[in-house]
Amino acid sequence: SFLQGSKLEIPLWLAKGLHDSKRRIISTELPKIYREAWRTVFSADANVVDLHKMGPYYYSFGSQLLNFDNPENPEIAQTILQTFISRFRRIMDSSQNAYNEDTSALVARLDELERALFRAGQKGLNDFQCWEKGQASQITASSLVQNYGKRKFTDMDG
Amino acid sequence: MEPAEAEFLAEKELVTIVPNFSLDRIHLIGGDLGPFNPGLPVEVPVWLAINLKQRQKCRLIPPEWMDVAKLEEIRDQERKEDTFTPMPSPYYMELTKLLLNYASDNIPKADEIRTLVKDTWDTRIAKLRLSADSFVKQQEAHAKLDNLTLMEINTIGTFLTQALDHMYKLRSNLQPSESARSQDF
Repeated sequence: SFLQGSKLEIPLWLAKGLHDSKRRIISTELPKIYREAWRTVFSADANVVDLHKMGPYYYSFGSQLLNFDNPENPEIAQTILQTFISRFRRIMDSSQNAYNEDTSALVARLDELERALFRAGQKGLNDFQCWEKGQASQITASSLVQNYGKRKFTDMDG
Repeated sequence: MEPAEAEFLAEKELVTIVPNFSLDRIHLIGGDLGPFNPGLPVEVPVWLAINLKQRQKCRLIPPEWMDVAKLEEIRDQERKEDTFTPMPSPYYMELTKLLLNYASDNIPKADEIRTLVKDTWDTRIAKLRLSADSFVKQQEAHAKLDNLTLMEINTIGTFLTQALDHMYKLRSNLQPSESARSQDF
């Protein structure tokens, strides 16, 4: 049990459940990265921020935060959107291998949503390149059966 | 769609062959083909042309656009214009790959042709990325890009539609509803 006015860390899902704009059981504190100081950094150059370290769910968590009646919500929503827009180009270009460079440094700084997007871009490119080389029509062993040979004989005895 | 599926659709395109055998007209569900007479050019779908070529029953005549001068013209125009050049075939990439793989001996300057087509493709894909970025930056609701081919749309399609989906959800955050319903991802 806890006293009125005490401060705790609880999971977002619980905070959402306890939140009620009329009864005001709890009030939430905005995580650092969504506050004004960090928002200014994002608007200067969103590309340099390590969203994985800061998140790793910057976009979805940020969107959920908007549930709590915070007067800064419009600015937060705008920053999250603009961040996505400014980082879009680099994610697209690297996932499509536009510069033929090592992309691991970039991917390390992406949040989970951006990483899924990056993988989608890569898949489009890889599928095309595979097809171009003629590998699309080659029969390869399914990954499901590739491990069969590794089972030891002793495992099969009773 | 997989690239192989786009290739499958491309194989319905017609190409001219010169058979070395005789056969009466054949009746298929999609339509009639032939008759085939040795030395007489006839148009057939690419899937059949490739099959006959592999069985050494014909030689292929490259399409009129599969020529160095023509392709250089197309490549140069593509590099010059901001918009997409209408391509001589909606399946130019697939047909180039198929014909150069199976019938390069029937195609003069095959290597140069391969390079020219690839260069044009690279230019077009770069233009597509530029358009996608403008579209996102300006937060447009609609865009129209003429003269894109299926293979190009396919290569970037999944990425682009997912990105636009996310952007749409983030944009709807800007209009809070009165009941403060959450945005689920």
